[in-house]
Amino acid sequence: MTTNYVELANKIALDKRSRVLRSMVLDALEGGGRGHLGPALSLLEIVRALYDSVLNHDPSNPLLVSRDRFVLSKGHGCLGLFTVLADHGYFPTSELRGFCGFESNLGGHPERATLPGIEFSTGALGHGLSVGIGMAMASRLRNEKWRTFVLLGDGELNEGSVWEGAMHASQHQLGALTVIVDFNRMQASGDIDSIVSLAPLAAKWEAFGFEVTEVNGHDVEQLTEVLGNSINPHGKPRVVIAHTVKGKGFVSAENSTAWHHKAKIAKDEISSLRAEVAV
Amino acid sequence: MRQKALTTVYKLAKQDPRVLFIGSDLGAGTLQAMREDIPGQFFMEGISEQHIVGFAAGLAQEGFIPYINTIGTFLTRRSFEQVSIDVGLHCLPVRLLSSGGGMVYAPLGPTHTAVEDFSLMLSVPNMKVFAPADAFEMENLLTALVDDGDPHYVRFGKGGETIVTQDFPTFEFSPKVFGENSSDVVIFTTGVMLQHCLEARAHLLSQGISTTVLHFPYLNDLSIEQIASHIESARLMVCVEEHVPRGGLFTQILHEFASTRISTKNLYQLSLPSAFSHNYGSQIDHLDLNGLTAPKIAAHVEALLVNNGK
Repeated sequence: MTTNYVELANKIALDKRSRVLRSMVLDALEGGGRGHLGPALSLLEIVRALYDSVLNHDPSNPLLVSRDRFVLSKGHGCLGLFTVLADHGYFPTSELRGFCGFESNLGGHPERATLPGIEFSTGALGHGLSVGIGMAMASRLRNEKWRTFVLLGDGELNEGSVWEGAMHASQHQLGALTVIVDFNRMQASGDIDSIVSLAPLAAKWEAFGFEVTEVNGHDVEQLTEVLGNSINPHGKPRVVIAHTVKGKGFVSAENSTAWHHKAKIAKDEISSLRAEVAV
Repeated sequence: MRQKALTTVYKLAKQDPRVLFIGSDLGAGTLQAMREDIPGQFFMEGISEQHIVGFAAGLAQEGFIPYINTIGTFLTRRSFEQVSIDVGLHCLPVRLLSSGGGMVYAPLGPTHTAVEDFSLMLSVPNMKVFAPADAFEMENLLTALVDDGDPHYVRFGKGGETIVTQDFPTFEFSPKVFGENSSDVVIFTTGVMLQHCLEARAHLLSQGISTTVLHFPYLNDLSIEQIASHIESARLMVCVEEHVPRGGLFTQILHEFASTRISTKNLYQLSLPSAFSHNYGSQIDHLDLNGLTAPKIAAHVEALLVNNGK
């Protein structure tokens, strides 16, 4: 029987930690008065699973040589990453409220130069995979053990450069590279299927030489297990297609293009959202 | 020049495991000796310039020094955003070795002629832009700057250029001076146009016109203060470059003259037109058409001197 990941992703209830993290996302959103809320919420459990349980990392030493590298290629999902990094102590959680401020370290897309824990500055789509492939190759050339994880948006897969990178990762058999696709089935202007269909997405990645796994992208236990699986560094690179819900956790934002990016957010909108994740 | 550049990269890679070579579907046999000798430092990737620049940035982020080589237009036009963001924004030591600068690939048409490469690369913050004149200067440049932490763009000529920089055994960022102080004419140039300008200088000297040629292998900062004495005495200054009129050496000169309050009254430009050429032929055909060969440079200078009331 085929697993209906879309249904699972929609149905799964968020635990207390996921609600707390969402509340922190709202702190940043409220402070900045703007932001990409929907994309940050679809990837929040993925980033949580990575930093809570999968990545070898040290918030007190963000440039630890042996750390696993994580590149958020869909940089517009940064509110999710900022929240998890702050929660792990990379920087004070109080900085979240400065989001997008003139002198803030937290801009609308992640920047390596300004914020500890950001592996690479992203924002223009279609860059992170190739950069991650370079990192994974560096690990191999130095006979080091660290792994590279790159999180792509599904809309980002429209970019041709992603597929250039995919071919090369496969050619080099970069088994220490894990690509994660935040498959929320929406992009800025609507349903992906109405713009550029990705179907059959798993078969596409398989055809490009990847080992493919599909998961419920809001099931932290499942994400932890799959992302933490042992790897063969000289085997196929792998892709984890994480079925997610854009705006997950807030009824008014779920599957809504209005909350892909929003500016001039009213206080009562934030209050209304905050009530949904009260713990 | 390209051959010397690639063999220099091989030599540097032998000495330093951080040095990598990345080609983009270059001709069969390119750096075959390196491929066999140190295969871990040699990559021949596919036709995918965007990916290759990002790949190189990832490697550079982790401490490697990747030297990428392919046709200049593909490095500059096709992968501009990767060059700007992955390399420039992160200020990574990626080396963009650009084959076929200017009209070298004229027979292949406008998709292959890198006539605005200086303009594109000079617009990227942190990018250092170089145009050596011959293989000797190319080797000195690559060897001297291997540890430089900034990104580099290096324009190649066609190859086989006469060696004219042999009196400058070490690479310096400052301009190379060919001539004496107090010349009537100063010619500014860069890259392989130096040879044409030196030939023009020889002709002008034979006509009793004192001429100094200033060659700028490094285009970001022209070190005008170091050549101020040449400029102050000149009755005529001409910038000669194999590039569209805007965004290259002439534009850099204007910026530096303005910032140092030097008059541009006697400054002129010889360049390629701001146009995509629909002619083919050879590089020399195009240089000649646009007045960039030695006889035409010399004739242009003589005409300007007459018009300026020599």
